[in-house]
Amino acid sequence: MTSAPAVEFQGIDKNFSGVPVLRAVTFSVAAGRTLGLVGENGAGKSTLMNILGGNLRSDHGRMVLAGQPYAPGHPTDASRRGVAFIHQDLNLFSNLTIAENIFLTSFPRLGGAPWIAQRRLHTRTTQLLHDVGLDLAPDTPVERLSTGECQLVEIARALSVDARLIILDEPTTSLSARETDALFALLRRLQAQGIALIYISHILEHVRQLCHDVVVLRDGAVVAQGTIATFSTAALISAMVGRSLTQLYPTRHGAATGEMALEVKAVSQPGIVRAIDFTVRRGEVVGMFGLMGAGRSELARILFGLEPHASGEISIAGQPLAHADARRRIEHGLAFVSDDRRHDGLCLHASIADNLALVSLRSHARGKFKLIDRTGWQRAISRIREAVRLTAKANDDQPVQTLSGGNQQKVALGKWLLMSPAVLILDEPTRGVDVGAKFDLYQLMLDLADRGSGLLVISSEIEELIGICDRILVMSQGEIRGNFRRTEFNRETLLTAALPRETQT
Amino acid sequence: MSDAATARSWRATAARVLFSDYFVLWLCVVYVAVVAPFTPGFLTLENAGNLLATLLPLFVVALGQTLVLITGGIDLSVTSIIGLCSITGALAMNDDTGWLARSPMAMPVGAGVMLAAGALVGGFNGTAITRFRMPPFIVTLASMMGVSGAAVWLTQSKTINRLPDAFNALGGKTTIALVIALVVGISVHVMLSRSMFGRWLYAVGHNARTARVSGVPVNGVILGAYICSGVLAAVAAILYTGQAETGSPVLGQRILLDVIGATVIGGTSLFGGRGKVLWTLFGVLFLKLVDNSLNLLSLSLFTLTIVKGVVILLAALLDSLRTRLGPADR
Amino acid sequence: MTHPMKFFLRVCLLAACTGLVGCQKSETTSAGTAGAKPLTIGVAFETLQTEYWVAGFEAIKADLKKRGHTMLEAVSDGDTNRQFDQVKNFITRKVDGIILVPKDAKTCLPIIKAANAANVPIVLFNRPADKSDAKSVAVVADNFALTRETVAYLVSEAKKAGRKHKAAILIGDLGDINAIGRRDGFDAAIKGSESVVEVVARIPTEWNQEKAQAGLVNALQASPDINFIFTSSDFLLPSIVSALKTAGKYHQIGMPGHVILGGFDGDATAYQLLKDGYLDATGVQDVYFEAAQCIQAVIDLRAGRTVPDLIRDPGFVIHQANLQQKAAQMWGAQMSKK
Repeated sequence: MTSAPAVEFQGIDKNFSGVPVLRAVTFSVAAGRTLGLVGENGAGKSTLMNILGGNLRSDHGRMVLAGQPYAPGHPTDASRRGVAFIHQDLNLFSNLTIAENIFLTSFPRLGGAPWIAQRRLHTRTTQLLHDVGLDLAPDTPVERLSTGECQLVEIARALSVDARLIILDEPTTSLSARETDALFALLRRLQAQGIALIYISHILEHVRQLCHDVVVLRDGAVVAQGTIATFSTAALISAMVGRSLTQLYPTRHGAATGEMALEVKAVSQPGIVRAIDFTVRRGEVVGMFGLMGAGRSELARILFGLEPHASGEISIAGQPLAHADARRRIEHGLAFVSDDRRHDGLCLHASIADNLALVSLRSHARGKFKLIDRTGWQRAISRIREAVRLTAKANDDQPVQTLSGGNQQKVALGKWLLMSPAVLILDEPTRGVDVGAKFDLYQLMLDLADRGSGLLVISSEIEELIGICDRILVMSQGEIRGNFRRTEFNRETLLTAALPRETQT
Repeated sequence: MSDAATARSWRATAARVLFSDYFVLWLCVVYVAVVAPFTPGFLTLENAGNLLATLLPLFVVALGQTLVLITGGIDLSVTSIIGLCSITGALAMNDDTGWLARSPMAMPVGAGVMLAAGALVGGFNGTAITRFRMPPFIVTLASMMGVSGAAVWLTQSKTINRLPDAFNALGGKTTIALVIALVVGISVHVMLSRSMFGRWLYAVGHNARTARVSGVPVNGVILGAYICSGVLAAVAAILYTGQAETGSPVLGQRILLDVIGATVIGGTSLFGGRGKVLWTLFGVLFLKLVDNSLNLLSLSLFTLTIVKGVVILLAALLDSLRTRLGPADR
Repeated sequence: MTHPMKFFLRVCLLAACTGLVGCQKSETTSAGTAGAKPLTIGVAFETLQTEYWVAGFEAIKADLKKRGHTMLEAVSDGDTNRQFDQVKNFITRKVDGIILVPKDAKTCLPIIKAANAANVPIVLFNRPADKSDAKSVAVVADNFALTRETVAYLVSEAKKAGRKHKAAILIGDLGDINAIGRRDGFDAAIKGSESVVEVVARIPTEWNQEKAQAGLVNALQASPDINFIFTSSDFLLPSIVSALKTAGKYHQIGMPGHVILGGFDGDATAYQLLKDGYLDATGVQDVYFEAAQCIQAVIDLRAGRTVPDLIRDPGFVIHQANLQQKAAQMWGAQMSKK
């Protein structure tokens, strides 16, 4: 690569109220190459990308974009200079059509008049959708699209403004394996067209598959960089964490007891799940694997009483629950960590203490007026904090929002600890969580199981299920398609079981 | 470097003042210091008494509004509830036609009837909002219209006086009104800061979905907030009616802006999840200080309304600043 | 036209238009007190939402200014408790007297009591308080007498026209003592002249323009020969004009098919209709007289003189014949000149 780098960071420094978050960050990305940017949450990746995108300004240092000095004052400066962002939380308007989303700020006009050139809009969108390999009509409303398809629409939007540098932030977290493959194929085509990519992800296999180069950030500084081939995965992890992790998963000590924790019999809800039958014993860790749209999250919500089911029976600790609401199920010993942390798991603006105490509040209420026993409450909170190994830097009154993803997840899980649930359902418990925190979360889950809770862990990551579960159920098309014991665990078998029937070969 | 350090410490001080519980109280002090020199009669004991008498009932209604705002809702019907309670209470216990006329129990039973009427309307609001998932704004707007219509219809728009002296004293004697407001204020404070219901209110306001998933009886909590708001509006109706010594269906009909304005000035968020009794007290104090001083200056109604509108807008601006710059977003 | 110079002067000095009687009285009796020491008077109005109240407010303001007194103003916008605050604020500011337009006859009693307790004279403008031990003076229009006089004039016009007339009356909100006085005045004037004027429609309006218009349209359909209409307030005149136009019965005085039309209040619309020759007569509340009487009552009370609890504004009937002469005293005429 002899041409000028697509983007160059030269000694970028950034402080937030006196705390350095970026320190002399220097690296470059060549046109037509993909750079993997990895690091734990809080390492400074988002801050750096915000500076690149014009949301923040660096205190020192400069950026060079395609040979020209680059100092965006505003996000529009970035898009005008051909820098496009594909965010983890997709920024699409679900009520608008694909075409409207792509051209929201740059509708093709009829001459200079404020009328939209419908036909041109249609043909340009069709072309862009073809480029990203999406076979959909331009006037499809975005709300009908899957997450993977939305991702592709975002990329189409980037292409529509002739982006020369595309930044992807955790693009695969909510994609199925097939969608991931399609995305990677598209990204490789973009590389071939000379577009530079910065790919941010916790999933190191994906970084390895896709990227040419890698930069590791830790505590705001570049601690390692080079072509990806020169790093082993273990080396990447130890660079990120700052110590070498000898194992990714904690050792399992306990085992399932005979006592039944959760029994699901023939649960059906038309169009969502069909004839679901399974059990979780006390002390058992049961995994549930499946592709996006297999009905796992929907099943979890049905089990917790957040969504209705037409038929079937659910019992917790031997007690049948007819159609009790979530509150009654909690009283029966059911706990649930949703995959949607922001909406179902946490009160983001409320303090750590309030979040941790929410579930067990009732046990601290005293007297006729249900006044809270403050000392007991305080003691309980510090006990949970210790148990979940929450970062010591945060104080109890701090809003949960200020915590990193991993620590937020610890709070979301921690609030259930005090009730010692009979069954804990976890939906994607480690999504968006960095490597170090993942280990803590696994440890926490296994500890719970050892103390007699039954766990149902829903995940799209086969590796982690194999790492921590006693048994894995595979779901596909709303049905359970397999039940594998530890000795039968095998990536290929599990994946095959998870594939929808008609595409099975 | 040292410049940056001073700037930082200055900003830290500013932030501490802005986020302090007593921010609005400071604002009050500054306002008094600025306005007192050219406002005749502002710093007199007599005026302090007047101020207190008008502040107390507003504080009590605003407390109800605070509870509702904490859940992320809004209660536009409070002023109509005041009118309805005023007229039902007066109908029950006036000396001429009331069924409690001249009974020794007229005062307690009449007050009880008023509180019940407030709870009833609050219960209706809460039920409509939780059972039928209607937006609080529309529900309480509708009940504002319906309830004030009913209040006017009950007496064909007439006012009723000749109420028992014992009842009139509740609002008319500032010391008694002060005791009532203090008891109400302290109860609500304890409820918010110390009780399970209080913690639930905040949780529902922060994120109702999370609260539901965490086993909080969300609908019950919201219903409770609206019932409290109705009852507190009824308490305010007792104070207002006692002051006027007359039951009127249009009593308090014009104070909705004051109620919501004072609550928001205090720092209670319109977006839910934040609010305190002390904040609301200071908000009411600030609004009433502005009102009282402008009255003493004998400004015309138009000027007064404009100035008050500007003050409330500024307070809303401060609120959004606090939300935006708050520790929550750092 | 006998006193063109005097007329001109009166028009120029809007503030001076306090009515002959009032003027003379104030100049003779108040010379001693008012000249000695300028007073501060608090003026608290319940509303400024209709022209009549604005006219009253302006009249009091101008009169006080002319006499060299200071005025503190407060408008409570329909809120009784707020008015209470405002009056208490007046007392805090140690005013020498209070002129009050209360929201209604009852809710003002604690306000009056507060003024009594502070020993500040309080005079009610145009709305009296209910009887109680609270002491106040009220200046009010004599609704009954003035309406009777106005309608008597209309009846005499009907007699002149000769034929038998069918009459309609638009009645106000019967919760309002003024509306009752005007209805009774109307009935008293018609009594004895049934051979000339027969009342065929009594239209309740509840002081609502839409109701008035709908009611009149219905009445005109039921009895198309209605040719005599009295409205209890001039502010309903636009609705009447509209209904008459729809029925094709809107004609000037003297034209065939003219409907004899009378009103009460003396607002700007009434003045315009008088000038244009559509309105026969209206009973004018003498705002300037009432303003002067209020101020005079405050001054007299301060001086320890006895003042009757109720001061009546006799008002006057304005009609085609005395329009030029009386226009200067008609508040509506002054408002329309502004």
